[in-house]
Amino acid sequence: MIATLQDTLQTDKEYLRNKFRDPVFDESTGLENETIKSDIQTMAEEMKGLPKPIIKARIFEYITRQVRIDVNPRDWFVGFACWNRKDWFFTPILHQWRDEVFHACSLTTPLRRDLCASGAVAMWPDFDHSVPDWDAVLELGFSGLRERARRYRRGKQTDGTLTETAAAYYEGIEITYTAILEMIERFHAYAMKTADGNPRVLAVADCLKQLRHGVPRNTFEVLEMIYLYFMFGEHIDHMQVRSLSNLDQILQPYYKRDIESGAFTEERIREYIDYFLMQYASINNYWGHPLYLGGTGEDDRSRINDLSYIILEEFDKLNITSPKIQLKIAENTPERFLNVALDMVRRNNSSLVFLGETGIKRAMMSVGFSQEQAREAVISGCYEYNVKAREVGTGPVYLNLLKPLELVFNNGVDPMTGLPVGCRTGDVEILTRFDVFYRAYLQQLSFLLDASFRCVDDFEQYLRDINPANVFSATIENSLKQAKDAFADGSVYNTTAILHTGLATATDALTAVKRWVFEKKELTLMEMKCALEENWQGYEKLRRNILNSKEKYGNNIAEVDHLAEAIARFCANRINLRPNARGGFYKAGMHSARTFITLGEKTGATPDGRKRGEEMSKNVSPSMGMDRNGITALIHSANRIDSAMYPTDYALDVMLHPTTVRGEEGLAALRTVLRTYLAGNGASIHFNIFDADTLRDAQKHPERYESLQVRVCGWNVRFNDLCRKEQEEYIKRAEAVRESTQPEEP
Amino acid sequence: MNLTGCLFDIKRFTVHDGPGARTTLFLKGCSLRCIWCHNPEGIRPEPEPAYYAHKCIHCGECVLVCPYGAHEMEDGIHRYHRETCAACGRCESVCLGKALQWYGREMSVEEAVQAVLEDRAFYEQSGGGCTVSGGEPLLQADFCAAVFAELKKRAIHCAVDTSGAVPWEAFQTVLPHTDLVLFDLKHVEDDVHRQQVGAPNKWILENLRRLSRCGVPIEIRVPVIPHFNADEHSIRAIGEFLRELDHVTTVRLLPYHGAHSKFESLGLPDLLSNVASPDATRMECLAGCLSHVGIPVK
Repeated sequence: MIATLQDTLQTDKEYLRNKFRDPVFDESTGLENETIKSDIQTMAEEMKGLPKPIIKARIFEYITRQVRIDVNPRDWFVGFACWNRKDWFFTPILHQWRDEVFHACSLTTPLRRDLCASGAVAMWPDFDHSVPDWDAVLELGFSGLRERARRYRRGKQTDGTLTETAAAYYEGIEITYTAILEMIERFHAYAMKTADGNPRVLAVADCLKQLRHGVPRNTFEVLEMIYLYFMFGEHIDHMQVRSLSNLDQILQPYYKRDIESGAFTEERIREYIDYFLMQYASINNYWGHPLYLGGTGEDDRSRINDLSYIILEEFDKLNITSPKIQLKIAENTPERFLNVALDMVRRNNSSLVFLGETGIKRAMMSVGFSQEQAREAVISGCYEYNVKAREVGTGPVYLNLLKPLELVFNNGVDPMTGLPVGCRTGDVEILTRFDVFYRAYLQQLSFLLDASFRCVDDFEQYLRDINPANVFSATIENSLKQAKDAFADGSVYNTTAILHTGLATATDALTAVKRWVFEKKELTLMEMKCALEENWQGYEKLRRNILNSKEKYGNNIAEVDHLAEAIARFCANRINLRPNARGGFYKAGMHSARTFITLGEKTGATPDGRKRGEEMSKNVSPSMGMDRNGITALIHSANRIDSAMYPTDYALDVMLHPTTVRGEEGLAALRTVLRTYLAGNGASIHFNIFDADTLRDAQKHPERYESLQVRVCGWNVRFNDLCRKEQEEYIKRAEAVRESTQPEEP
Repeated sequence: MNLTGCLFDIKRFTVHDGPGARTTLFLKGCSLRCIWCHNPEGIRPEPEPAYYAHKCIHCGECVLVCPYGAHEMEDGIHRYHRETCAACGRCESVCLGKALQWYGREMSVEEAVQAVLEDRAFYEQSGGGCTVSGGEPLLQADFCAAVFAELKKRAIHCAVDTSGAVPWEAFQTVLPHTDLVLFDLKHVEDDVHRQQVGAPNKWILENLRRLSRCGVPIEIRVPVIPHFNADEHSIRAIGEFLRELDHVTTVRLLPYHGAHSKFESLGLPDLLSNVASPDATRMECLAGCLSHVGIPVK
């Protein structure tokens, strides 16, 4: 008797939800996590002096041998007791190694600290953006990946080029992959021991047996393989896996074969996908786990296939926020697919991001990549495009575009901390014209960029000493060829992204200075400085007038938008293709993650009317509630900036009122926004669709709105999970939408 | 060309005023006085202020600029005296809370055409265009025709949203440039119409008959108003009337939604303040009354 899908998922859902939140493991399978953590501290001490890849691999091996495991009859995927993102086993050791590197970077470490403390930038060595060569992982399997690494090692031995560093690199992979295979064996043995005739556990055992020795052969084995790689990579080896691949393309051939041969029914495959997606929903990583769908093939035809629909439908049915799904959209993308996706968006599942392939192509070609590389680009993290299997893009810097303005007002000194993080552009009294003021802004901006480059160049040369990427490196052929850590500098393209926060707010603030100080002469620059120092207290009338003015980015006002474009271009010109410390180059990126809040907290009041500590604009989106001319004006403004200047990514958030997207016309309206934005200069876009009343009701009755999601930046959160202050911000935004874009209706 | 029109709003990305994404120009002034009017700020032909009391922050800026004593501060609370207001507009630009808003602005044909052309990219993607609405746009038929003539040179789809309560000549002025007429049909019985709309419907129906012989596609829009036409009998009668007509492509039933705050802001009485919108079941039932007419109902 075979239970139907709904039945099994319904019974197992509770288990799946708790799998990563409140897991229970069979104590006989291994040591307690706390014991392992203290053991590996001792191991690290004892191995001090050995090459880092080897120390890390040995500890990896210890964890895989000792950690508790599970193969549960309620699940198609195995359980690791060491899954915790917030409490990775390696964290204390890697922090030690990072501090050693910072110590070695003695010239830039104080600078980095000051830059971060002043809120001019958010900066850290980034290990959160690895995407393995998924094709290699699936074509070779774990044992095949180890075998390929061995081959390269033997080659180097034969031709006498195996240096000590190279040997340690290969040895790290050897130990790590042997440990992986052993652990899969351990899972298998445990499954066989506990199966008790349970067909699902036996099927999982069968799958593990295959993955222990060979490559995945069917849809289920592929999903288990992706999951295993993810767990080994992210939750043991401490490298965030920032794309679960283009799942529809990866699965398609297996799916087709399974259906044709009758190995699995479509219903069963949907079940595997449900359970796969539920793993990530349960892990509930704040940033979400990305996977992407769609795109265009070599034959210029859309790659949307059966699996694209199936994955979207299952995702929709599960009503989860993670994984987050990115959709590669082109002119050839079937309208039906867009309708399915956009309908999900308007039913409050806004956890979908739309990326235009034309935008990706223009952006990637602007830094020397080919059309083919752009077509096959991997979408990783929030919106970033990278060359498949050949590029690692780190994201160590978020630049606060408001800070240079504060520095102009204070002659290079951050007013809140007193830190001299800027350059000397003179006392405000001598800035007698707007062009002088504006140039001083660009000088401060340039100074902060230079300081950021110095810091990043310093610590990024040591990435391999902070967190050698044993699991990841084995998947990247160029890394194996060169015997260089794939995440640090062993990829063909080792790029470094400088990301931006507050473009719109900086534009609005500069515009306000121009208009109110230099043109209307309502007050002097010195008085403006006082107003900002007083956090607008005593200047409420002026603040209101500035806020009420429509002269803000996002309103399709050419003069304002051109200023935004000029600032964006200034940064992009300084950043793109500048050599970095990893043998690659820098790329500019237009996304802000959470820094529009965190850097906002460290930024004083600004001339656009923003108060001290308030959030600033994010991505290429307008300052909150300042896009008063509606959605079309916003799209025109965003399209005035060439997204190709931002080869890392370029993201726009739009908010629409539910009445705009209702019915057939509403769906067409969403398609129009998407198509118009992408046909212009746009790259990525996502939607928030709700009205203020709904959000207010959700605040009062959270229990009725369990599934209400809002977009933060590159990821979604449930509205109920936001703190009160953040909820209020969304309500304010929704109110602004009502005023500007709600259509008139009888 | 020195022609100007008086507009009280321009709405962009309207998706319910004709095909695709559109820009709707709202022209001020209307010959009818429907008690359910959802755009009461479009009724009077002359520019006028609206005062949204809930937005007022009682800053007193308006008191300082008003030469007519229409604004007054009493114990820190702002009071607006509409009866003494001369609608000079001085207060609107100084209002810090945006509580005072101005409805009605003279606009040249060029300005209006430019405003519409800004969103051309959206019309191209969606098959949209420009709709003139109101108020009653055909009370400014020359202006509409001039705007449309310019837009047609650039192949932009043009639609008129009318109550039909205008001389036939007004239709004749705009029709050569018009791709679609959205025609409001409220009731076919003259006495009920007179009572609630403040005008006979004979000439409206006559205009619609003549229009249906012109060849321009017509979308009929029926605002469904409780106690007026939200009953099977009224809707069936409308259906019967439509059967005689040609070129009617669609009938759209639009459920009543109150515009209470707008009425209040304009100092006008909202006679339907206690009337609820017809629910979905009711709307479906009424749509069923038109099923025999042979015209798609939305």
